[in-house]
Amino acid sequence: MRKKTLPLAAALLTSAVLALSACGGGSGDESSKPVDVQADAHSGRRALTVLDPPFTKPDLVLTDTHGEKYDLRERTKGRPTLLYFGYTHCPDICPLTMSNIAVAKKQLPKAVQEKLRVVFVTTDPERDTPAALGSWLRQQDPEFIGLTGKFATIQHAARQLGISIDPPKKEKDGTVVSTHGTEVVAFSPKSDGGYLLYHEDATVDDYTKDLPKIVQGQRP
Amino acid sequence: MAAPTAAAGARARVVALALAAVVGCGALAGCGGGSGADGTDGTGGRSGGQAAADTAARPHLRISGAFLPVPVTTGLAAGFCVVRNTGGADTLTSVTSDIADRVTLHRTRNGRMEMQDSFPVPAHGALDFSRGGNHLMFEQLTHKPKVGDTVTVRLHFRRSGTLTVKVPVRPATYNPGAGGAFGTPPDGAGSARTP
Ligand SMILES: [Cu+2]
Repeated sequence: MRKKTLPLAAALLTSAVLALSACGGGSGDESSKPVDVQADAHSGRRALTVLDPPFTKPDLVLTDTHGEKYDLRERTKGRPTLLYFGYTHCPDICPLTMSNIAVAKKQLPKAVQEKLRVVFVTTDPERDTPAALGSWLRQQDPEFIGLTGKFATIQHAARQLGISIDPPKKEKDGTVVSTHGTEVVAFSPKSDGGYLLYHEDATVDDYTKDLPKIVQGQRP
Repeated sequence: MAAPTAAAGARARVVALALAAVVGCGALAGCGGGSGADGTDGTGGRSGGQAAADTAARPHLRISGAFLPVPVTTGLAAGFCVVRNTGGADTLTSVTSDIADRVTLHRTRNGRMEMQDSFPVPAHGALDFSRGGNHLMFEQLTHKPKVGDTVTVRLHFRRSGTLTVKVPVRPATYNPGAGGAFGTPPDGAGSARTP
């Protein structure tokens, strides 16, 4: 049994972020409270942290790529769901993450693919309009769901998952730079809890190996 | 849609540049060989005040593992490579490419990229552009390249001048640093070196 140090550190970091957000927030939302996140000591993979207890799915209502209201809890209830916070003017990790998931998803049987929900929430809502988000996501997978809305709403939801994002900021040369989350959260179709955290170095192989388990709510 | 003639012209120019670089530096350096061997270069007569020697010593740069993940749109692409240096310190000051009007240098920290004016290439060290870390950012692409295409990228160094790399376009999921299914690319793809 290999001891894994990296995810543990990541989990500790996650707890720290949660603790911070709870101090700052005072929103009265019970899911903002610090969660005692524990890394699974037996998964032996640095790109993955198993969360026990799992994250509560954020109560997040935003606008989808068709310009319609999208209630995350309602629409993904009982569905295996992957949730990521990123932006389309992102050259590296955001397209990498979505492509990894897209390629892995295509290897599932068609009927299983239809159950899976992949949700990309923008961290740059000003530039990522429903239309912009839609055309970018369609290049990855036409079934991917893109959500946009008020930055504060998005940031609050991300915090509940231990993901820290800052508002887009103007660089000295006038270009706008946003932050992306560094984790993908997988929610179980059985409990609707966020029970797996994939770090940014998760590969297409990691997702390919794990998606068949995730769609059943099992631990990879 | 790049006209084939334009592309051919660009290619010819690159070859000419590369040749010029080889000739120009060949005269300067008596160092020649050492091909392929990474890391230790014990041949240079380095003795005494190491730091001073490192600054004075001529940089020996070798670029390898360059790749450009196929971009989602023509708006933006990222490029990656490793610059290994077996000589004195140098600085990467800018990057140009025929695929983009503008290429900028970035590092990424906590999910946010930060533009840099230059990147140091330490003496007997390496400058690493890799997924989630530093990247070259190509903006306003002239066209959307396909997997298997090759993009010409020129890295301009303060002391070593310009190194031209033919950068292969890889699948969007390509991530050699993460120990996935992709091995080291066949030698020669995405490499360049000072002579
Ligand atoms: Cu960048």
